Amino acid sequence: MAENFEKHSDISAADLARLNQEAQAEATPSTAKIIWNEFKADKPAMAALVIIVGFIAFVMIGALFINTPKMMETNIMDYFDKPFTADFWLGADSGGRSVAKQLIVGSRNSIGIAIGLTVISSTVGICWGLISGYFGGYIDWGMQRVYDFTMMLPMLMMIIVLVTIIPHYNAVSLTLIFSLFYWEGTSRLIRSRTLAETQKDYVAASKASGTSNWKIIFQGIMPNISSLIIIDTTLSFAENIGVETGLSYLGFGLPTQTPSLGTMIANANDPANITLYWWTWLPAALEIIILCLSISYVGQVLRRAADASQRQGAAD
Amino acid sequence: MSLVEIKDLKVHYPIRSGFWNRVTDSVKAVDGITFNIEAGETYGLVGESGSGKSTTGKSVVGLEKVTSGSILYNGKDITKAENRRKLDYNRDVQMIFQDSLSSLNPRKRIEDIIAEPLRNFEHLSKDDEKLRVLQLLNIVGLDADALYKYPHQFSGGQRQRIGVARAVATNPKLIIADEPVSALDLSVQAQVLNFMKKIQREFGISYLFISHDLGVVRHMCNNIAIMNRGRLVEIGTREDIYNHPLHIYTKRLLAAIPETNVNQRAAHRASRLAVEKIYEDQQSKYYDEDGMAYPLVQVSPTHSVALPENIAKQLASQEGEVQA
Ligand SMILES: Nc1ncnc2c1ncn2[C@@H]1O[C@H](COP(=O)(O)OP(=O)(O)O)[C@@H](O)[C@H]1O
Ligand SMILES: [Mg+2]
Repeated sequence: MAENFEKHSDISAADLARLNQEAQAEATPSTAKIIWNEFKADKPAMAALVIIVGFIAFVMIGALFINTPKMMETNIMDYFDKPFTADFWLGADSGGRSVAKQLIVGSRNSIGIAIGLTVISSTVGICWGLISGYFGGYIDWGMQRVYDFTMMLPMLMMIIVLVTIIPHYNAVSLTLIFSLFYWEGTSRLIRSRTLAETQKDYVAASKASGTSNWKIIFQGIMPNISSLIIIDTTLSFAENIGVETGLSYLGFGLPTQTPSLGTMIANANDPANITLYWWTWLPAALEIIILCLSISYVGQVLRRAADASQRQGAAD
Repeated sequence: MSLVEIKDLKVHYPIRSGFWNRVTDSVKAVDGITFNIEAGETYGLVGESGSGKSTTGKSVVGLEKVTSGSILYNGKDITKAENRRKLDYNRDVQMIFQDSLSSLNPRKRIEDIIAEPLRNFEHLSKDDEKLRVLQLLNIVGLDADALYKYPHQFSGGQRQRIGVARAVATNPKLIIADEPVSALDLSVQAQVLNFMKKIQREFGISYLFISHDLGVVRHMCNNIAIMNRGRLVEIGTREDIYNHPLHIYTKRLLAAIPETNVNQRAAHRASRLAVEKIYEDQQSKYYDEDGMAYPLVQVSPTHSVALPENIAKQLASQEGEVQA
């Protein structure tokens, strides 16, 4: 059969290297390249990216050098020490504990939970939506009934109950409990786009080319909904930082001996703290605001790069 | 034995509703059609949009779950997925789609798009595969530059060429061409049709050529089937269909071919209106009481029409055709 193609085209093996080189020169840049160009063209986005990556790296590594149990010991002598001193850069709280150190360990805990939760819930949600939307029929019907069932459960109440009945819960079990509920929104979103995408002829063409269903789903369809996936994942990451914070603020998050952004913001529950001892809660609040803004900014740039048509950077 | 024999093919889409998702009704997209495609020929399947042509085409490629009936390829029934797998069926039967943009994955490079069937069916070495893709691009008249580009960087005509290259990649025996030029400009249509014919000669391919336009089919097909609401209303050679049409639906499609000769525009319009009037007035003669086409009856060895026997004979003798 190969001879057949030899005979009817002007190209033979001898031309391969030269033609390949010519084509390389004309090649459209890869997605990674486009994303990088996009960041280079948008300085504020670059700053946001540096803030996020730098900050996360800083708290992850910094937390390793802090002895948490020792840090959390009450020290009556340092009761509400003022910030910007040599011992306490950001002052101390009512227990005389360093706010700066708590902020580092607390950020590590909160961000760690948010990352874990985002990875688990987005992966489950994306796979659930893709499979449900692609196969349709009875598979879709069954998967959607499971979805409806988990939607019916009162989420906040269930989380509070689970947190109360599990004896020794920690960051890991908290992440898993949250994950039970947070895949739903993603899965619904991905499913509806997959339903539309599956109808397109390129899916039919792939089937007619003998490609397996799993390959079509993850290598054919998924890249086409990547901008949706990126937006949804960045938004849920920003949101998930808030999830743990909110619950800890209410007193149902991490145990009291484990610092987190939520427990620190909970200092603002006391009217005296809000005005007099502002350094106990303000840094954590500012951190959350800056992080969430940076994340959504970076998400926007990623989406722009994923939608080649919305590209700003001069890629080609 | 024909290359493909379609026997009483039916594709009904269930309409489900309610909490239990029960079947409450069905759309009869294809409702009992029978025809054969010979090796090396171009078989035309023509009908208005919505008449079930694409569904028929997709069934032949194995993309559609068939409700009943059979499709024999070299004597094997390929409506069963297991038979398709055993035969590596899609290595031999490929498809060209109407919408060239939606049929090429926007996130894949042209190389990966054309190589997709090769990777699944032929397992060539990297260099051989690249060489084959370059040869295919050359055959459909595109430069090697296209290799690492994305579909949106090409014009409609170029994209349809890429679609053809993918379909030809494994040197198939049959290609289903579903309105391959309907979305293209007239000038580009002719180009694409011509190189489809060229490829047919060089590689010995059969086409099932689907179109809503009898004008396009005239230059491509020896045998033609006319489809209407999921059924065939007339089957015949090019001569039969263009010069001795019997069914009013066929006459209507013929009248709808655009007239390019300006001087005859008025006459053409008059005849089109006349046909339209007969179509409106004589529904009961040409369709049964449910508005469906009758079963086909043969009026000559090559020509069949979906009419009651006596009317078919009468019309055929009016047309001056020789009786079978
Ligand atoms: N997946 C589907 N589900 C339900 N109905 C369908 C589906 N695909 C096609 N149909 C219906 O079947 C009929 C025939 O469609 P199609 O084969 O696309 O016609 P054509 O290609 O001749 O325009 C149409 O009425 C269409 O609405
Ligand atoms: Mg169609």
